[in-house]
Amino acid sequence: MDIIGQFPLFDFPEYGSAWMMGITGTIHILASHTSVGAAMLFAFLAYKAYKENRSDLYPYMKKYGMFLLIFSYVIGSITGPGIWYTATAASPRGISALIHNFVWVWATEWVFFVYEVIGVFVLVYFIDKIDKKTHLKLTFSFALASVGTLALIIGIISFMMWPGTQAYYVTGSASDAFFGTNTFPHMFLRIGFMIMLSGVIGLLISSAIKKDNAALSNELTKKMGYISMLGGFLVLFFFMWYMGTLPDNAHAVFNITKEEVIQNRILITIIFSLYFLIAIIKPNYISTPLAGVMIFVILIGGIWPGEKLRESMRKPYVAGQYIYSNQIISRDVPGKNIKSELPIIAEKGLLQVNPFVPENLKVITEENKLQAGELLTKMACSNCHSLENSGKYRPLKDRLVGMDKEGVKAILYAIGNGGMSYMPSLSLPEHETDAIAEYLASLKY
Amino acid sequence: MDASVLLALRDPAGVPFYPVVFQALYVLTWALHAAFVLLALGTMGLSLFGTFSQKHDSHWKRLTPHLIQTGKISISILIVLGVAPLLFTQVIYDPNWYVANTLSGMWVFIFIYALIVAYIMYYWYYYANKKDEGGGKLIGIISFALLVFSGLLMHNFAVTSIMPNEWMNMYAPNGVVDNSGWTFNMDLIRLAFMVSLAIPVVGIFLQNYSRFLSTKEDFSPKFIEYTASLGTKIGVIGLIISALCFVAWMLQIEYLLHPLSLAIIVGVVILLLMVAKNSNSYITTGVLVVVALLISAMRELIRFDIMANLGYSIYEYPVNLEIPTIIMFLLTFLVLGGVGVAWLLTMAWKVGKNQGVFDGSKDIIVTKLGNYTLGIMVIWMVIYFGWGMSILFANIL
Repeated sequence: MDIIGQFPLFDFPEYGSAWMMGITGTIHILASHTSVGAAMLFAFLAYKAYKENRSDLYPYMKKYGMFLLIFSYVIGSITGPGIWYTATAASPRGISALIHNFVWVWATEWVFFVYEVIGVFVLVYFIDKIDKKTHLKLTFSFALASVGTLALIIGIISFMMWPGTQAYYVTGSASDAFFGTNTFPHMFLRIGFMIMLSGVIGLLISSAIKKDNAALSNELTKKMGYISMLGGFLVLFFFMWYMGTLPDNAHAVFNITKEEVIQNRILITIIFSLYFLIAIIKPNYISTPLAGVMIFVILIGGIWPGEKLRESMRKPYVAGQYIYSNQIISRDVPGKNIKSELPIIAEKGLLQVNPFVPENLKVITEENKLQAGELLTKMACSNCHSLENSGKYRPLKDRLVGMDKEGVKAILYAIGNGGMSYMPSLSLPEHETDAIAEYLASLKY
Repeated sequence: MDASVLLALRDPAGVPFYPVVFQALYVLTWALHAAFVLLALGTMGLSLFGTFSQKHDSHWKRLTPHLIQTGKISISILIVLGVAPLLFTQVIYDPNWYVANTLSGMWVFIFIYALIVAYIMYYWYYYANKKDEGGGKLIGIISFALLVFSGLLMHNFAVTSIMPNEWMNMYAPNGVVDNSGWTFNMDLIRLAFMVSLAIPVVGIFLQNYSRFLSTKEDFSPKFIEYTASLGTKIGVIGLIISALCFVAWMLQIEYLLHPLSLAIIVGVVILLLMVAKNSNSYITTGVLVVVALLISAMRELIRFDIMANLGYSIYEYPVNLEIPTIIMFLLTFLVLGGVGVAWLLTMAWKVGKNQGVFDGSKDIIVTKLGNYTLGIMVIWMVIYFGWGMSILFANIL
């Protein structure tokens, strides 16, 4: 029996299932990056407090820690597996590929997580119950563990973009997959962002203690301004290096929206540079509501478009440049005995090889053509495009405006022949292409 | 479902190590995760009861905030421990894991946000109760209900994943494909048994609590005695309820006379006697861990049998050995995890036993464990970068 390992399709109408993952991912990035950055900041403050015998810093650290505990560790620790979960529902084979390549890396990261989760409670609740030296050691170990989690996840998410070299395809080794050309630039780019975020969150806390201790509040606000500025500079610096390590298909997608992205980034850079400068020069101008708004601005104006761009630049792949977003294996990976599924799909068609297609739709007839066309379109396109006339997620209605069946077919042939580097080169048998075209034309975009 | 389909659903990359190792890790880590799920549910449930007596009863005044705090920490730990069994199950049981998740995609999304809201509300409950004795009841009840709901959704994923013969009917009833992700299945008896375990777990927790505090001067002997006897009562009643639920579940799936099932029953009886006597609750906890492992193994046995009967054996999964990363995991788990967590727990234990500020720098064990942890972490980082750079140099030069 010629079947491929495709799973049932989950589709969230109008927005698409990947969009659900995007929301969870954006929230997670804010929380997780804050937590790693804050762990480094915590170590810095604890060191300062210990060396300079500044006992006034400890209440600030406790407040910061409580916020961190609730914000980062409640939201971050749930949205972390949350991304994984929603990604599983949206892209089961993409996640499966990552799991089967990197299970031990993830398991190693889990050890750090366990340390971090127990550690954060110890760190925060014992701040006034243990001696300062032991507490300092705790903060150092906590910072190292936090950076450890980044060091472990970064190779996996970099592999999602691409393995960086051809070595992985030959050896199948997780080391070759993990340490690609963009792993380290990606890592330092994120470290910069984490440092910046730790300062941005720190401003919220430092401004909140103004009433209790204005002098300390100003001092810390200034410090947070410098820290954020440093983080922001690192982000810009490593972004250049990172972009240079991306594959051609990523640049092809980037070029489509390049000007808009650059404008957005310049605007964000100016806004935040001003914000950090104010924190340094006029710390008393930083109020808690302003600091709260700026966190929201970074979430909506920085992280959300940034992650959307990263996801788009991966196209047409979802992992390792061997699995398409529509869950089809697109190339051989001899090192893992993985075979491309494109030839068998081209020969037999998606309906025949997908085990979850019901019997009544396996063979296209005049009666079921539209129904089969709909299912095929969902299977082939819905991971990246909303199909509905009111769709919001890279909707097909904007791409196929006013097209008839032949027009749609011409596009499908072009895609199948590899005419668009960011679209999967999926060539289907004529009867399936025809059914998809008929269905899409029937939607009258 | 046809064996050829189940086998096709395995990842073509194969598994990076022997499947039995993943299976064992799954059983172990699920038991740890479940222990904290039950502790969180039990302490939170009991704390809600406590909020009603907190104002006028001196024992509950003291006990309730501690129960809330224990619940709060347990939720964090159950989340982090829950990641591991999820990881290991999908390496060897991909058909089950991925099909259940795609069929219940909407519930997956709802699960994440239900848990976030529940946990944030839990903090709200914690602060409200800290501010006013007996405060935060309603918030606590909503948080508890949401946590139970999240557990129910997890139960749905687990049950759906072991119904391979029904998957096609769930996905395309009468030949009409349903992509909505609203599949929901329950097995009431199994669920009742799992949830009921929260009662004995909180009972044994109370015995430990009482034992731990008995050496501290700021806790009266009356309070110590009260919490111990409360633990005994709750533990005994809970174990009887759980035992009945377990027997009903085993009868339902016809596993009652299986050696593993019998071992669990024997374990529960031993636990019952130990809880009733309460001579050393720390040893009782050890036995509880063994019973939890047996229950975890029982769940795995049921799944293994269902899949094996359909022609899917995890032991036949193609293996593509992946040596460097398993070495990294084992060393990190045993060395860094072992030493680091030992340091944190030793410190927590000593701080708990100590009056006033605990000077860890004068405690040889705490100091040594701390220095080792830091040293190991630094070495870990050096190896990581060295490894990465040598791989990159080899591949790009």
